[in-house]
Amino acid sequence: MELFLQLIVTGVMLGSIFALVSLGWVLIYKCSGVLNLAMGELTMIGGYVCLSFYQKLVTIMPVNYAFVLALFGTIIIGLILGLLTERVFLRKMIGEPVLAVIMVTVGLSFFFKGLVFMIWDTDTQVFLPRIFSIEPIVVGGITVGAVYLWSFIAAMILMVVFICFFKYTRWGLSMQACADDEMAALSLGVSAKFVYALAWAIAFMAAGVGGTLLGNINGLNYSVSSLGLLVLPAVVLGGLNSVPGAIVGGITIGILQNLAGGYGEAFVPGSKEVAPFVFMVIFLLFKPYGLWGWERIERV
Amino acid sequence: MSYLPCGTYFESYADDQKWWRTNFIKGKMIFMVLLLVAAPYIVGSQWLSVFYTINYYILAALGVQLLIGYCGQITLGHAAFVAVGGYTSAMMVLFLPWPQFMVDAGLVYPISIVCAGFTAGLWSVLFGLPSARVKGFYLIMTTMAAQWITLRLVITQLSKIGGREQSFPLPPGVIKIGPWVIDSDDKIYYFSVILVLICLIAMGNLLRSKMGRAWIAIRDNDIAAETMGVNIVVYKLLAFFVAGFFAGIAGAFWISALFFVSPENYEWFYSLLWVGIILIGGVGSIQGIVFGSAFVVMVFKLLEMSVLSLSDVLMVSYPEWGWVTTKIIFFKESAFGLAIIFFLIYEPNGLSYRYWQIKNYFNLWPFSYTGK
Repeated sequence: MELFLQLIVTGVMLGSIFALVSLGWVLIYKCSGVLNLAMGELTMIGGYVCLSFYQKLVTIMPVNYAFVLALFGTIIIGLILGLLTERVFLRKMIGEPVLAVIMVTVGLSFFFKGLVFMIWDTDTQVFLPRIFSIEPIVVGGITVGAVYLWSFIAAMILMVVFICFFKYTRWGLSMQACADDEMAALSLGVSAKFVYALAWAIAFMAAGVGGTLLGNINGLNYSVSSLGLLVLPAVVLGGLNSVPGAIVGGITIGILQNLAGGYGEAFVPGSKEVAPFVFMVIFLLFKPYGLWGWERIERV
Repeated sequence: MSYLPCGTYFESYADDQKWWRTNFIKGKMIFMVLLLVAAPYIVGSQWLSVFYTINYYILAALGVQLLIGYCGQITLGHAAFVAVGGYTSAMMVLFLPWPQFMVDAGLVYPISIVCAGFTAGLWSVLFGLPSARVKGFYLIMTTMAAQWITLRLVITQLSKIGGREQSFPLPPGVIKIGPWVIDSDDKIYYFSVILVLICLIAMGNLLRSKMGRAWIAIRDNDIAAETMGVNIVVYKLLAFFVAGFFAGIAGAFWISALFFVSPENYEWFYSLLWVGIILIGGVGSIQGIVFGSAFVVMVFKLLEMSVLSLSDVLMVSYPEWGWVTTKIIFFKESAFGLAIIFFLIYEPNGLSYRYWQIKNYFNLWPFSYTGK
């Protein structure tokens, strides 16, 4: 029972990072209908950018300040990269068939992966000196690593910020309008190009923070990008165009992965990585549009 | 459809439906087959491996083209089915207790190819099942899941059979068809040419049958197809089966070229590569598969050659720039990504469309107005 609770709690914390990344994903999909398969690479880029900032800054200031500043830097770089990517590669693809747009994001993922390896090499890198203490926090018999706890808090804060942005600001409103009915939004003077650029910028920022947190937990290497791909089952679980769905899906996938790692690994080695995908296939057979996805009604 | 040359017309439907409609086309096709046969003598042996890699990509991309280009079912996990084919064939050749006369007659490998096709086809149908209910993005996810599940299964379960960890070496002389032992580059090349010709002809004829027309109807509008009496579930699963079958054949062929099977030949990268190939070549065109495969393999080969020669130059003349050579490997991957992106932006119809335009220009030559 203790192990079970332990796994659940760690799963929720890990899942909150997935939720953060999948939030960025859902925003892109909602606003522009683009399926972004480069999400894993975006996460990786964010992690590495933060690492370089941190390594530069930690020489001149205390660890905590350096990390917060580096995180800020990552968010700003993410914003710029997001706007740039949208402008250079994806703006030309507006109105093209879905498959072509998906393949552009796949091309982007190759491009980014090569770029990251060219700049930062393939060895595993860790945040040194450590930002979070190794001493675990014990609450009612359940031990939680400080990294996990702070990741959870950071992910939650950022998620609330994004959701508030989406709900209560003028830009967020125009994003909602675009998601709801693109034609109507365009005719009312919402600039679709601006909305798409904004969606990509948010995705880059969210993925950047997600990558930083994941990098703090396990160290940064190629596997961060495959962790970023775990976002996709999370998104499908909640339904493609649902923001709360992304959060619930992310946390569910986190718990599922941890449970599979704790219990399943003994019977089926490697079940930790496969469990989310197996679960997703079975889930899709019964609920084809996820939990809160919009059911498309088609007419000939 | 392409235009006929000026002054050529047909008087019966049978003539109009023929594969090779004019003498010029017949001559061209015979010339191309001769060229394929003579290729090892023309280009020399170091390019043979490039040629059979192209043929392997053609075989693998056939299934992807069938699913995406003709049936409208987007798939991003095709490497999984190729893996199933490769592993089935290798396992059958290595571990099944074949009677001695079959081994002597060289029947083992051909039988294993067919079995690999069926296994991969059935495995593919398993992951095609959700296609009955979902489409578009949700289907992409299930095919991606196929990729992860299959590869994990292979790595954790199959790779341990026989005490070996990751890869299975196939001892020389095991892979033979009849009396024909496949052990040298030109034999692999001829074998690949024969397989590709058989598969391309099979695919072309399938598309001219009732089944092919049903697939195209589903691609164009599945609801309309259903109202016209096409059983879309059956035909979608059939498409998955046939695509998996081609993938299985591709996988079974590739073990004869590599002489081993190992999971890293079936990474997700390859699934994406094959989708990239059909997009570069042209979606919904059989020639497109050939053009796309040739283009991608050639680009990789040329990049590799230039990278190698560049690193040689750097090593000799500027040793302090040596770090560039280690980075330059990743440059290849980046360049490939950019190539895909710019192809999609600037040549969205693929190479086969360009070929079609050139062909029509010559066909209609003195009066080359096509209404476009």
